[in-house]
Amino acid sequence: MGRILVVDDTMFMRTLLKNILFSGSHDIVGEAEDGEDAVTKYKALKPDLVTMDVVMPKMNGIEALKAIMTEDPNAKVVMCTAVGQEQMVKLAIKTGAKGYIVKPFQAPKVLEEVNNVLNS
Amino acid sequence: MKQVPVKLEHNGKWMSLKIGFEEDKIIIPEPISEEIKIKSIDDIEEKKNMLIISTKNNKNFKLASVPKVLLILKRIILMGCSAYRLTAYFMSPAIRGGVMISSAKWEKGAIAVLNTGIWFVSKEKQICIPLDEVSGIDLTKREVQGKESDVVQINHIENDEVVTSFVLCPLTTLQILFNYLKDTTKDLDVSAGELDPVSAQVAMLVYSGMDTHAIENMINISNKQIESIYDKLIKTGLVEVVMTRREVKLTTKGVRFVSEAVKT
Repeated sequence: MGRILVVDDTMFMRTLLKNILFSGSHDIVGEAEDGEDAVTKYKALKPDLVTMDVVMPKMNGIEALKAIMTEDPNAKVVMCTAVGQEQMVKLAIKTGAKGYIVKPFQAPKVLEEVNNVLNS
Repeated sequence: MKQVPVKLEHNGKWMSLKIGFEEDKIIIPEPISEEIKIKSIDDIEEKKNMLIISTKNNKNFKLASVPKVLLILKRIILMGCSAYRLTAYFMSPAIRGGVMISSAKWEKGAIAVLNTGIWFVSKEKQICIPLDEVSGIDLTKREVQGKESDVVQINHIENDEVVTSFVLCPLTTLQILFNYLKDTTKDLDVSAGELDPVSAQVAMLVYSGMDTHAIENMINISNKQIESIYDKLIKTGLVEVVMTRREVKLTTKGVRFVSEAVKT
């Protein structure tokens, strides 16, 4: 079980992820709808893991990931993006992301990835 | 000539026998007594430990055996049958259920396009993607050895999971493969305007594995509304009914039982 911050600019995706993570006995400690909000909430909440959308207004997911990794080099961030944007994987992993989920996703696989990252 | 033990279906019954094979033919002994030229085979399907071999003269042979034997037979058939074959690199699976597989790598091999499926064949692997399980095809770009390359992305269903595979070969060949797949799976195409936003959200939630109750709660709709959306999704062929759940209420006998049960 982990304390998780869910970051996505669409409420639908946040709700879906929260439901999936909740069904896997994780605690949703907060949610953010853009990169800036994510960094602020990360500093305040210190979650065990962040699920981070890539394309978001104000500050995108890669920039937010960089800011979080600067704040906490041990942060566990799982990037989450749409099919066709897998090219971002390399950049995100280089920046310190520990996992990657491609939308649309299936609940058991999301939980498997999140649990793997939490246990790593 | 090499021989391998198999079970073969003949007149609705399975019989154990040893079939012989060479690079260009499979020989089935008595009482079936058939010689199948590999070039005459135009399709194979794999179902668990069973292979269904179809020939150009409309003969079907169902045979079952251990994985090692099937591996040899599949290799001979796939490399010699009348399929459209191309040398290519493939990565399968690359994404499973939306999660990228970190150990996935490009493999050099051949792709054989048969009537019912596409086969990826390498030294270690024989992967079949049945055409009726292809949920999406896209001609896209992917970084291969530090260079942006054109690839065909195939999304398919495997054991109820959505899996993505990639094929890499020269662009002209990719376009042929892409057009062929697009054409053979065009019945599965859905136009974006076919569904209203709420129905589209419900479809996405079903994809993610949510049950009816969870969907109702997530998007705050009534059971009556979701039933109507399900009807629409069934009508458009996007979903199928896997279970009908009943709602019940207690009878007088049931009420009495519960009332008595709490006393003990």
